[in-house]
Amino acid sequence: MFSANLKKRARVDSGLNKSIIVLVILAFGSFLILFFYAPLSKIFQFALTEGNQLTFSYFIETITNPLNISFLLFTFAQAFLSMIICLILGIPAGYFFAKYDFKGKNLILNLMTIPFVLPAIVVLLGFIVVYGESGWINSIWTGLTGINSPIIEIFGTFEGILIAHVFYNLSVIIRMTIPAWKSVDIEQINVAKSLGASNWFILRKVIFPQIINYLVSAALLVFVYTFNSFAIVLYLGEVRFQTLEVRIYKLMKSSLDFNGGATLALIQLILNTIIIVLYLFFESRTRQMAEGKDGIFGNEKISFSKKNWRKNISMLLFITFIFTLMIFTFSPIIAIVIESFQPYADGISPFWGYQQLFSTEYMPLLSNSPLRLLLNTLLFATLTTILTLILSIFLVFVLRNRYQSLKKYRRSLTENFVSYIIILPMATSSITLAIGMFLLFNNTTIYLEYVWVLIVLTHVLISIPFASRSILSAYNRIDIEMLNVASTLGASRFRIFAKIEFPYIFRGIVVGGIFAFAISLGEFAASNFLVRGEYGTLAIGISKLIKTQTLQLPATMASILVLITIICFLVIQKFGDIELKV
Amino acid sequence: MAKLSMKKISMKYEKKLILEDLDLEVKHGELLVLLGESGCGKTTLLKIVAGIIHPEEGSIYVDDTEISDFSPQVRQMGYVPQAQVLFPHMKVKQNIAFGLEARRLTKETIQEKINWIANLIEISELLERYPRELSGGQKQRVALARAMSIEPHILLLDEPLSSIDATGRESLALTIRRIQKETSTTTLYVTHNGDEARLISDRVAVIYDGKIQQIGKVLDVEQHPKNYLIAKILGSPNIWPILYTKKKEKTILTTQICDIPIQKKISSKITGIKIPPSIISISKNQIVDSGFVVLKCYVKTMIEKNEDEYRLILDIDGNPSEYIKVDCSRNEYNNNITESKEVFIYFNPAEAILL
Repeated sequence: MFSANLKKRARVDSGLNKSIIVLVILAFGSFLILFFYAPLSKIFQFALTEGNQLTFSYFIETITNPLNISFLLFTFAQAFLSMIICLILGIPAGYFFAKYDFKGKNLILNLMTIPFVLPAIVVLLGFIVVYGESGWINSIWTGLTGINSPIIEIFGTFEGILIAHVFYNLSVIIRMTIPAWKSVDIEQINVAKSLGASNWFILRKVIFPQIINYLVSAALLVFVYTFNSFAIVLYLGEVRFQTLEVRIYKLMKSSLDFNGGATLALIQLILNTIIIVLYLFFESRTRQMAEGKDGIFGNEKISFSKKNWRKNISMLLFITFIFTLMIFTFSPIIAIVIESFQPYADGISPFWGYQQLFSTEYMPLLSNSPLRLLLNTLLFATLTTILTLILSIFLVFVLRNRYQSLKKYRRSLTENFVSYIIILPMATSSITLAIGMFLLFNNTTIYLEYVWVLIVLTHVLISIPFASRSILSAYNRIDIEMLNVASTLGASRFRIFAKIEFPYIFRGIVVGGIFAFAISLGEFAASNFLVRGEYGTLAIGISKLIKTQTLQLPATMASILVLITIICFLVIQKFGDIELKV
Repeated sequence: MAKLSMKKISMKYEKKLILEDLDLEVKHGELLVLLGESGCGKTTLLKIVAGIIHPEEGSIYVDDTEISDFSPQVRQMGYVPQAQVLFPHMKVKQNIAFGLEARRLTKETIQEKINWIANLIEISELLERYPRELSGGQKQRVALARAMSIEPHILLLDEPLSSIDATGRESLALTIRRIQKETSTTTLYVTHNGDEARLISDRVAVIYDGKIQQIGKVLDVEQHPKNYLIAKILGSPNIWPILYTKKKEKTILTTQICDIPIQKKISSKITGIKIPPSIISISKNQIVDSGFVVLKCYVKTMIEKNEDEYRLILDIDGNPSEYIKVDCSRNEYNNNITESKEVFIYFNPAEAILL
């Protein structure tokens, strides 16, 4: 009845399956232990021990230092305010995009998301070009009024940092609240109306309870991004304003206070973990609520009516508002490209910046030619992508290993364990990752000779949460029952993966891979901390040139990053939805 | 053709026992309908047989081979889950070929088998389509074809008609029956709908409280259900639970519609009573006969059963929440009854079935 051959194959299959899982767990686990947990323990060691003795003296010293306290408060304050401003601007914009359907809507929405995927250093440069002391806005102001003092000051001011953070993160709120509006079933509103509820009552009692989880999780995400902001605050904040991330960097790099830096990194890690756990909690609740229904809005067209002038005015205001946001979003990006063709002095060619890519004139400042920086950047990004994808697929495989879940309804032990051990890398800031690597490897050949390996590995650690998320969300769309059917039809584990799971997660892999590529492309904080000798990247090159008065060359380098990022972004759009979430 | 036996199957879900020491046997080539209410564990049992879930205890046999430890891959079960989960990125043809390719058959053999099964299930014209281009009924046929293509030892069907519109149900049910007969495939068919059991089963097994409560030919179970709950699960008409039993000189059973006196001696506990529509007579005038139970009713609606028989649904006077079904001939209807008019019905309580 049951052929011996078939039974044997099943035994081999099950054995193979088990050994693949063990191998995958071993590979992923050893990567994390070697390049994440070991570096992290080094930070613990510097923060909490002195000569092998446990001590809290650094800790107490650090948290009682008035300067640290003021920077900690500033970190919270700027993150909180940036989050609030993003919510105030983003919620109505999200509502507009969810409610109305018009030509070019997706394009506008996608373009508005670009700042988020741009390297922070590029955003910074764009900001300087538009809002800087001799930037566009201030030049227009002086031209119009004749007053010489600038109308906007972004250097060394609180508002400069806030504007830059809002620019950077606004799209997170817009994109994440669109599904919130769409998650409310239109029938619920209809029923509520038929029961006599007013619009305000419906908003308060029906809509708000359903969208609150989306709002909170989007807000927390903006909070965590701005809480860990580095490049923008490093340059715009000058000495006065420092986030923890900047403070840690300065302690480690300038003051060489390793114990103080490590202690602060530890405190930052604890705070980040709390925020990330909160975020994951609210985010999982949005997933419980969203179950493919008809959205609250039936893609209304934008229209003006002859009778209802109040509606017309509010519509006009709405459109103006969105238009202003668009200008706010696009201007720094366009400014960079224009600036790259703007001769920095008389008699200089508009293409000077692009010609400089091939010269070695800036070698002493950049430690390498601009072209080599570009090649380094592309090479690191490619390596990061490959490694990230392999590890992310491993991770998803362990998380969603059906072999375990087949037999039991409950979540398997590995699944719980793995989901806990990856929260920590998510909550670890780029600077902390870099410090850990530095403290663990600083006297080894790998740091002294092959620092690029550490840079790439740090990029991989930063990218894994994004990539695995995008693969996982593709994987979660697979109906488990489909895999059950496939196995009852006699398909082996490998066959099920190749024929069913892979076609499903392919898009997720592409999107995750491009995300990893884009992250590595513009990563600044960790690379800048670790970099030695000729292994610089474009982002590092731009940061070195920002301090010089000629913005043409850094703008050229930034334009290249903008171009590559936009191409990446367009490919992601083609393949699937952007997941801004971690 | 094979025999399927389940022995002492127990399964917990979140600490609650949903299957408890369950025994069930599906004979060679028979179609057994497993009938039970939602959440009673029937789908779980099906998945246990398919090897998708492992039971906490118990064993499963196909003929005399114990398959409890076999993976789903080698069990050779034709599993059709409730929602028709076709592989959306594959054409119908590729869906059917999936299990055959997994068996590493030659291309010619695969093609032959696809043609054979497509002819049998009458889906030849759908082979080049994608699942999204199919109706609910067509998807179910394809899912059936995919399961049958591997010539399974046992065919496992989970509520195959639940997502099909009313008009397609009977035709699909009969298709399933025809194919099952033609191929003599032993089949376990899970449903909550008694009518499906009446339509196509060889035998029906009623499940609740984690156990098979009654098993037999559907007519036998229908006529002699062991208790009120089994009759209710089968969806028999005119059944009521007994609210109160008074035993003096004769037994009086109190139900939601009326008190029913019973002459014969009762030894076991009575859980309900069934008054088959066929034992009820109808009259325009009040009947005076002490041996009968008489109820005043109003005609609520009428359904045509066949050419010369109607089934009437009657509201019971003074009891707005209950209704009773009565059969009558076309002649009788035309002569005696007008819609929403008052009528009297009567039946001999001795003919009622005690549950």
